[in-house]
Order: sequence, then structure tokens, then C-alpha cells
Amino acid sequence: MSFFRVMKAELVRSFIIMRRYWFRTITGMVIGYGMLMVLVAGFIYSRPGVENAMDRFKDNPMGATNFVLGFIIGMFAFGVVGMFTQGLQSMATTGVLEQLCMSPHGLAVNFMAQTMVGSVTSIISSGIMVYAVTWSVNGMLYWDTVPILVLLVLTFFNLVGFGFMVGGLVLVFKQVGQVAILVRMGLFALAIFAREEMLHQPFPLPFLLHMLPITDATIALKYVLISNQMVETTTETGEKIMEFSSVFVHPCFYWLLVSCVFWTVVGLTIFRILEDYSRSKGTLGSY
Amino acid sequence: MTDNALVELSHVCKKFITRHLLPIDEETRKRRLYKKGEVHAARDVTFTILPGEIFGLLGPNGAGKTTTVKMISGLVRPDKGAVYVDKLDVDKKRRQVLRRVGVVLEGTRTSLWPLTPLENLHYYGTLKDVPGAVLGKRSHDLLDFIGLKEKKNIQVRRLSRGQKQKLAICIALIADPQVLLLDEPTTGLDVQSARAIKDKVMEMTREQGRSVLVTTHDMHVAQELCDRIGIINHGELIACKPTEELLDLFSEQVFVFKIDKPVETDEFMTIPGVVAASMEQASDGPALVVQVVRTPEALRSSALYEVTGRLRGHDRMLHAVSQRQQNLESVFLQLTNDTQKR
Repeated sequence: MSFFRVMKAELVRSFIIMRRYWFRTITGMVIGYGMLMVLVAGFIYSRPGVENAMDRFKDNPMGATNFVLGFIIGMFAFGVVGMFTQGLQSMATTGVLEQLCMSPHGLAVNFMAQTMVGSVTSIISSGIMVYAVTWSVNGMLYWDTVPILVLLVLTFFNLVGFGFMVGGLVLVFKQVGQVAILVRMGLFALAIFAREEMLHQPFPLPFLLHMLPITDATIALKYVLISNQMVETTTETGEKIMEFSSVFVHPCFYWLLVSCVFWTVVGLTIFRILEDYSRSKGTLGSY
Repeated sequence: MTDNALVELSHVCKKFITRHLLPIDEETRKRRLYKKGEVHAARDVTFTILPGEIFGLLGPNGAGKTTTVKMISGLVRPDKGAVYVDKLDVDKKRRQVLRRVGVVLEGTRTSLWPLTPLENLHYYGTLKDVPGAVLGKRSHDLLDFIGLKEKKNIQVRRLSRGQKQKLAICIALIADPQVLLLDEPTTGLDVQSARAIKDKVMEMTREQGRSVLVTTHDMHVAQELCDRIGIINHGELIACKPTEELLDLFSEQVFVFKIDKPVETDEFMTIPGVVAASMEQASDGPALVVQVVRTPEALRSSALYEVTGRLRGHDRMLHAVSQRQQNLESVFLQLTNDTQKR
């Protein structure tokens, strides 16, 4: 119950700020759209020149969509982990963190609610951007509600678990927040380039990639949204056909479940230990 | 544990490790990056705050005042000793304690600046588990009480420093805590804002029966506001007495002898029981200011008789003798100087 009360407070706060600064919200989305279009044009199709890039979208809309989706998931990961690092740092600087620390619900519940609300906002605005860019490049996204919601929830908890671990470190060592930017950049890059082919590496690299909080989430989301959960199979006659195979039987889904449980447990445990340590060290809530 | 205490600190110790960056050693040309040191924020600190009492914690910068507040609110854990709020151990029952304590730490920055005062109170009230049915009325009542009713729908970023400080007090009060901890509540405020905050603190203690801990280095605030005062220096509680008693502690010792002509003070120093003697020139003539020992009383009396006797011996006419009224500032300086000497 207490979690939902905190979440309600966060939801109201976010809504008020979004409504009060509506111009910033809209311009942010327009700028995001523009940046994505430029990045798609510049990064993937730059060889013949940017002016030809728009024409080339038609030749490879799936590649462009893949990139855009990866980019957006990367942004999501960047944002969620950022709430635990730079967000925490800035709250400590302004003094708001001290008040949150004195909430009887506990810091972990407050952060969880704050991140969840932030993520929902981010998913809505990112969703609009993904559709806008995909539409612009003649791409196609396949929306299957149940798998997408399940995957987003798992991705969220995966990232939150990881965020809690980094956030715990930031509570004790405030300067870690700067180092965490590198970690966030790494997650961002991983989300852009995550594909199944990437996992075909010698041991232990695939295992490490699986355990990172974003790899399987991105692959699974791309599998649903871009590939429409279709895999190429060969019939008895040797004919290659596309066949539906649910994401829930895809190996990435199971890896995602495992890493989700792993990061949630590890993240929350480490956060609690470090919060406690930070109280003894006298750094809780202050910068 | 003391029976009727609302807040109790029992033999609390807290030290922090510090690291000071060092320059290159000129002789050895070796660079030591830092020197590790220890700062004692609390050394065996013991005091209680009773229901309906305003307790002032005075001390210079870095004395350990804020750390003490943070230990009561559970933001910092003591190395030794225990802190109790309403007989609950802060370390073990922190969440229950937080429902009983409201804290203002560097008040102007605790509120969310993009929101209005009313929205801030709703936000923090929900975080502090105030039931929705109560929250609306209490928010309006608090803003009315503190004098922010007209500003309730203006974004906090547009408020003055004093108004932000008042809002911080409202935020601390939103869960209707029994104990209010105010860390430097009037620092940086103009006279009117400081006065308004002092009045409100008095009002809510006297009329609403809350206990308040005020940390400050403003002696006037402490003298005017507090029922009891603790003086802390280098983490050590060097005095803890009712305000009047603390002032009396030193006022007994200083006597002013109004005389017709100045006199050499050296020979007064030789009188047994006299601690210090000096001449002061006031608008109504010269005065010999003599500080005598407080105890034993017999020695103090004989010292005073001896001073009058020697003045007579030097043909000085004694116009008046008075006991100097101490203010908290001089008490504080004497006490902190004494601990420094030790």
C-alpha cells in the first residue's frame, strides 16, 4: 500500500511539472525526433552522403527501424540508471534527498516509485518518437500488447535492479555518479547494437552479455516489434518459410527473466547495505 | 532511559574520518596525497528534551550541532550510545521514529521549487503517510498559521528566502510530529522574517505542546527562544542548563565598581579570590571591573570586601557597585574559550 501512496505522490508531481513546463516537454520531443532522424541519416546511411540517405531509407527500412528502436531503448536504459546516479546526486545537492531519507516509507520505496513514474513518462514520449521516426523512414513496428508489456516490465525491473546497485554506491561515494555516466553510455551503446548475432562469441563473453541488464531486453523487444515474432524455418521440401514463434519461448526471454531476478535481488540488497553504511559514514542525504 | 523525556541522547559518540590534501614535502620532495584525520562530532553527548520544551543547541561552526540533529532524525548513526525519540531507539525503530519527527535542514532548499507551497505540502504529506482526508485541511491550516496563505499558489522559486524557510517548517510539520528539529532556522534571514519564525516556533511549542530542538550560533535567538540551552564545542557538550541558570552561572562573578578616578589594576590581582581586574571608561565615569571566583562563597565575599578596602586606601570614592548582567554571547565565549584552553 505504502508503495502506491508514494507512487501517487510522484505521479502527481511529474504531471504538474510536465503540465507546467509543457513547452519544454513538447520541444524536447521535437528535438528528440530531429536528432534521431539526423542520427539515422548520418550514422547508417552516410556513405553516399546525407542527401541520399533519405532515399535509401526505402531500401532498408528494417535497418533504420532497428537502429531507432535500439536508440530509444538505449535512451530508456540511460534514463532509468541516470535517475539513480545523476538524479540522486542532484537531489543530494538540493537537499531534497534528506527529506526523502526521512520519509517513513524508506529510500528504496521512494526511488522505486520515482523511477517507475519517470519510466512511464519516458516510455510514452519515446513510444511517440519511435512511431514518428519509423513512419518517416517507411518502417513498420508490430505491436503485440501482452509480450511488449511483459518485456517492458522485465526490462524496467532489470534496469532498476542495476540502478539500485549503482545508486547505493552513489549514496556512499558521491563522485561515483560521474563514473556512472560511462556505465550508462555502455548500456546505451549495447542497446543500439544488441542483436542475436552478437551472442555468438566464445565463452564467457555470451554469458557476460546475457547478464548485462539490457542485452536480452533489447533483443527480445526488437524480436517482437521489428521481426513480429517470426523466424525463418525450412520445410521438409526444403522451402524456407517465415513461421510465428512466440517471444516467450525465445531463449532471450529466459535470459531476461534470469537477469531480472538477479539484478533485482542483487541491486536491492546492495542498496540496503550501502544505505546502512552511508548512515554510519554520515553521507546519507548530503553531497 | 528518562521517564518523561521525548528525546534522549545517551552517551552518544560520533567521529568522522577526514582527509586533507597535502602539498609536496619541500625537504623530502615526496608527495603524500592526503593526511588522514579524525573529527569528533559528538563525544559522550547526553541530554534530554522534555515535552513542550524548546531546547537550544549552541556551538561554533563544526561543533557537531547538525550531526546531533541528524542523529536524532536517523540520518547519521552514532558510533556509540543511543538516541531515543518517544522511548523508541532511533537505530532500531527508525521508521516509527520518522513519523514522530519533523526536520528542517538548510530549509530553503528542501522544497521542490517548480511546485507551489500547497503542492509541496501535498507531495511531502503523501510521502510522510498523512491520510488524504486530513492532508488538504492541514496544508491550508499550516500555510495560514505560518503566514503563507497568500502565496500558496505561487511557485516556490518565486518566493523569498524567508518564505522558503517558512515553507520548510510547514513541510516538517505536515505529518504533525511531536518533535521538531530546526537546524539554523534564522540564518541569512532579515529581521522581520527571523522574528516571524521565532514567534511561530514559540507559538507551536507553547500552544501545541510540541518539543523543539533549535541549533543556532545566533545567541539572541537562543536567549530569546530557548527554555534550556546546551553548548557544544568540538563535539563535547560543555554546558546544559536552563537559559536563566546558564546566564546566572557567570553573572555572579563580574562586579562593577563605579569610582571617581581610575586606579592601577595590578594590585587588585593579588587579592585572593580575584580572577581578573580591569578599568573601563563609561560615559558616566571610570569603573573597576573585577571578576571573582564563584565558589567558595566566603572567599568571594572576602575578595569583594578587600577590593572596597583597597579602593578606600587609594582615596577613591565609590559611587556604586553592581553585578554585571551577562548575555549569552559572553557566556558562550567564556565556555568555549575554557574548553579550548583545556
